[in-house]
Order: sequence, then C-alpha cells, then structure tokens
Amino acid sequence: MKDIIKPAAVLAAVTFCASLLLATVFAVTKERIAFLDSEAEKNALAIVLPGYSITDTAKTKDNKIYWVGEKTENGETINGFAFISESPGYSGTIRCMIGVDSNMTILGISILKQTETPGLGARSVEIASKNTFWDVITGSAVDEGIQFPWFQQQFAGLNGNKTVQVVKNGDWTPEMASDLVSQNAVSAITGATITSKAVVDCIHKGISEYNDIIKKK
Amino acid sequence: MEIKLFITILFSTIFINNYVLSQTLGICPFLGVSKKTDSAAGMGFAVIFVMTLASVITYFIYKYILLPFSITYLRTIAFILVIASIVQLVEMAINKLSPSLYRALGIFLPLITTNCAVLGVAVLNVDSGFITKEFGLLMTIVQGFGAGVGFLLALMLMSGIRERLETADIPFNLRGMPISFIIAGLLSLAFLGFAGMSF
Amino acid sequence: MSIKKEFLKGLVEKNPVMVLGIGLCPALAVTTSVSNALWMMIATTFVLTCSNILVSLVKDYIPSHIRIPVFITIIATFVTVVEITLKAYQPEVYTSLGIFIPLIVVNCIILGRAEEFASRNGVFISIIDALGMGIGFGLTLTILAFFRETLGANKLFGYTLIPGFKPAGMMAIAPGAFITLGLMLWAMNRIMVSRKHKK
Repeated sequence: MKDIIKPAAVLAAVTFCASLLLATVFAVTKERIAFLDSEAEKNALAIVLPGYSITDTAKTKDNKIYWVGEKTENGETINGFAFISESPGYSGTIRCMIGVDSNMTILGISILKQTETPGLGARSVEIASKNTFWDVITGSAVDEGIQFPWFQQQFAGLNGNKTVQVVKNGDWTPEMASDLVSQNAVSAITGATITSKAVVDCIHKGISEYNDIIKKK
Repeated sequence: MEIKLFITILFSTIFINNYVLSQTLGICPFLGVSKKTDSAAGMGFAVIFVMTLASVITYFIYKYILLPFSITYLRTIAFILVIASIVQLVEMAINKLSPSLYRALGIFLPLITTNCAVLGVAVLNVDSGFITKEFGLLMTIVQGFGAGVGFLLALMLMSGIRERLETADIPFNLRGMPISFIIAGLLSLAFLGFAGMSF
Repeated sequence: MSIKKEFLKGLVEKNPVMVLGIGLCPALAVTTSVSNALWMMIATTFVLTCSNILVSLVKDYIPSHIRIPVFITIIATFVTVVEITLKAYQPEVYTSLGIFIPLIVVNCIILGRAEEFASRNGVFISIIDALGMGIGFGLTLTILAFFRETLGANKLFGYTLIPGFKPAGMMAIAPGAFITLGLMLWAMNRIMVSRKHKK
C-alpha cells in the first residue's frame, strides 16, 4: 500500500504546485491578453471600415458576430458591414475580416490569422518597407509612418458580387490600382498563387454567407 | 459533401502537409528508427494508435473540462500527461503481445511521448477549431489517424532508402546524420509536388 | 567539475543539435528567420534553466519510478509560463512561433538534461549546464536561420538585404531546412574529426 501512496502523493503535490503557479501567472496576465484581443479587433475594424463608426454589433443565427457601421459623406449617411470569414489556406486556416458597403463593394480586408509559408504565402500580411537592412543598421532608415500590407490593400474598391480574379502582375503598387479595379482583380504574391487564391476564396465565402443579412438592412 | 471534407483532411495530413516531410514534426524518432524497415513499421503503427487515441481523449478533455472552466492555459500540461499515460499503456501492451517487437523498438517506444508530432497533432486539432464544428470529434479522429499514417509513410520511405544506403559508398563525414538529412530533404522536395492538390 | 568546462560542452563537444542529435524539431521549423531562432533560444533556455533548478532541488524527494512524469509536469509548467507571458507581452513572437511554443515541452534536450544531469547534480552546476546547452542549441539555430533567411527570403530581421534579388524560396520551406542542416552536420563532423586529430 505504501508503494502506491508515496508516489501518488508526490505526483499530486507536484501537480498541485504546478497548477497554483500557472493560475497565478494567468491571473496576472489575463487583463493584458484581453486588452490585446480587443485592440486587435478595433484595429482590424478601423482598417476594413475606414472612417466608419461602429453603431451595432449583432449575431447571426449561427452565433457569429458581425458589425454595422455608419459614415456621413456628402451629407448622406451610408452603412458599412464587417464580418469574419475562415477558409482553408495552403497550410492551415486563413481568418479574414472583410468590410463591405450596402452594394457589396469591398471597403477593405484584414487578415487576422494565417499560418502560410514564411517568405511566400505569409507575405500576404507583409508590410513592405522600402528600408533595407543596411538602412536600418546605418541609421539612415526613413520613417514611413503607418503602413498596410500591399496584398490586402488592393482589395479595396473591388466588387464583391462578381468573382475577384487573380492575376500575376508581381508586387502591387498604387499605380496598378485603377487597372486592377476595372478588371475586378488582385495581383498574386509571386510564388504564392495558392495562398493568394485562398484569400480570395475566403472573401467570397464570407460574402455569400452574409449576403442575405446585408441585403435585408 | 461531408465525405469530401474527411477525404480532404486525410489527404492533407498524409500527403500535402505530411507531418514529417512538410511540417518537420517528429524528426527525432524519424531519424532514430528508420534504419530498418521492420522496426520502422512497428513504430509507425504504434504511433498511429497513440495519435488517434490521444486525439480523441484530448478532444474530450479540452471540450468538457478545459473550456467550460476557462482553464485552457492548462492545455499543454493536460495533453502531455495524457500522451505519457497512453504511451505507458501501449508499452505494457506490446510487451505482453509481442516481446520481440518490444525489444526491437527498445528505447524508442517510451520516446513516443516526446515525439513532437503526437503533441503536435493534439494541439493542431484544437487550433483547427474542430471543437466548435459539427462532426468535430470525427474530424479530430480523422486528422489524428491521418497524421499517424503520414508519419508511417515517411518512415517507410526513409527506411527503404536507408537500408539500401548500407551498401553504398558514402564519404566518411557524410555518414549517419548528414546523409540522412539530405535524403529527408529530397523526400520533402518530392512531397512538395502534392501542394495545390484539391478536390 | 569546472564551471567553464560544463558551460562550454554545450556549445561544441556536446552540442545538442549537431552532436547529440536531439532538439531537431524546432531546429527545422523555427529557423525561417533569425529573430524567431533567437526567441526560441531565449524561451528554451529559460525553460531548461528553471527545470534544471527545480529538478535539482527536488531530486531527493522523488521516487525513482515516477521521476519521468514528475519531470514532464515540471517542464510543462514552465513551458506554459512562457506561453502565457509571450502571449501577453510579445504577441507577434507568440503568433510567429505558433505551435512550437507548447512543443518546447517535448524538446528532448530539456527532458534529457533533467534526467542525465540535474537529477544527479547540485543546483548551481545544473544552472551552468542548462545555460551552456541552451546557448549551444540557440547558436546552432541562429546559424541555420541565418542561412535560411538570407538565402530563402533575402531578408535579415525582416528587412530586405539586397534589393531586387530573387531569393531561393526552397530554403524557406522544409526541404531547404533538411538539406541545410544536413550540410551543417557534415561540416560539424569534419570539425570534430580534425579536433580529435589535434588531441
């Protein structure tokens, strides 16, 4: 009997101390983690609904959250909607927040979570800095202010009701914008066509999911 | 549509995102046991069993204990202890059923506990969000099983090649680990061909 | 047992990745960028040091046949501390390292040192052992990451190196990791042989 009691007691004591330590660490950091999560959500909403103020947070019948926003432009009040969509990427799920107006024109997207290949698919969240490594270490780096991933920026202005095409024009520059918008297309990441298409699929999936809800408003 | 989903998960874990050759998990046993095809097969099947069982048990623990009580941060501890217990049970079972296999696997059987791929698949199941989905348990089982089959596949391929290597003339400093890694790299390159497979 | 000797052995003579062949999973997965490799070194060395300290303190009170589960629990606890702390104070690093943070618990180096060294030696020397092993592990990862980030993504610490240069994408994914590590191991073998000849 003693053979079982002593080991069991030791294991129980170790596990108890472990749980105590972890509960303490968790309690100390809980608020900060919750704060970071809500900040991330706010930042994403500001990107996908630029200039809009969020007036309502609602739930679909599947318990998924979506946001309604308002903006006054030229004296008129226009509505915007933001929702989250998830769909498979090249490796793992891509989680994306999309903002549209009542005509289903995409106002902006923000990729919240992805586990694509670094250097390839992960460039979808890459913020291209014009500073090179040498600029940074010699101190001649230029402060570029707040920047956004070019891959996500190019979705603004596209028509969500029509299929978004994926073309291979290399890295996107603002000069390409008018051409691409007229084709309802985005330029894929070089060497990461699968991830680029997966993001487009994610957006289409979200739009078809929330289509009915937005039409009703 | 549902069958298609499960086949997608199966193909993804076995070929497209093979745990060893694409996600670089489970490397230690991969290199350690792949010298002979027999022990490789035995290890592979043991891992399939442990991964599938671990996937099921960790699913229930996460869904019905960790989530409701908001102690998801205890996930790492809970999962690894579950895996350690399962491996202990498997060890005792193999010792009873096939002592020769037990001897052949040697130290590598208890080392299944520290196989990154086993803990990896348990964590990936949770991160894939299966818990909140319809058929979540079935998807978890399929993913756990598929991960094990993918591991077995990689092990068999590697052991087949390494058995042949015994008689090859390899430069002195390349023998052992270096050449094994380069071969694994070439296998991994070959498996890249599965990328983009869709149904 | 000199302090200098115990510390240095982890760097070359008993380098965990290059000589002992353990801790390989994170070595391949996390070395896509130098910054990831350095954070992994910090996280692993922290867990290794804390675990060595605690194991060394309680070694006389743990019955021998349950020492492995106890070690695993201790290691898992410190890994969870690292997980929670990174999630709260370095969220980008947390997302970047992904599932490899919880996978530190199955890093063979930590369990290996607990079993081989900390359970048989005093606290202070166990700390030195942990630091040596952790830094040796980290240095190897950093060198590997240096090759992979510069050649595979044309970047260093996230900033472009040579504008206009199209990098070899293969280095950034699994095959590149395997082959580069294989070549590094080849070089290491060569170095070890020439050291033996010098003695």
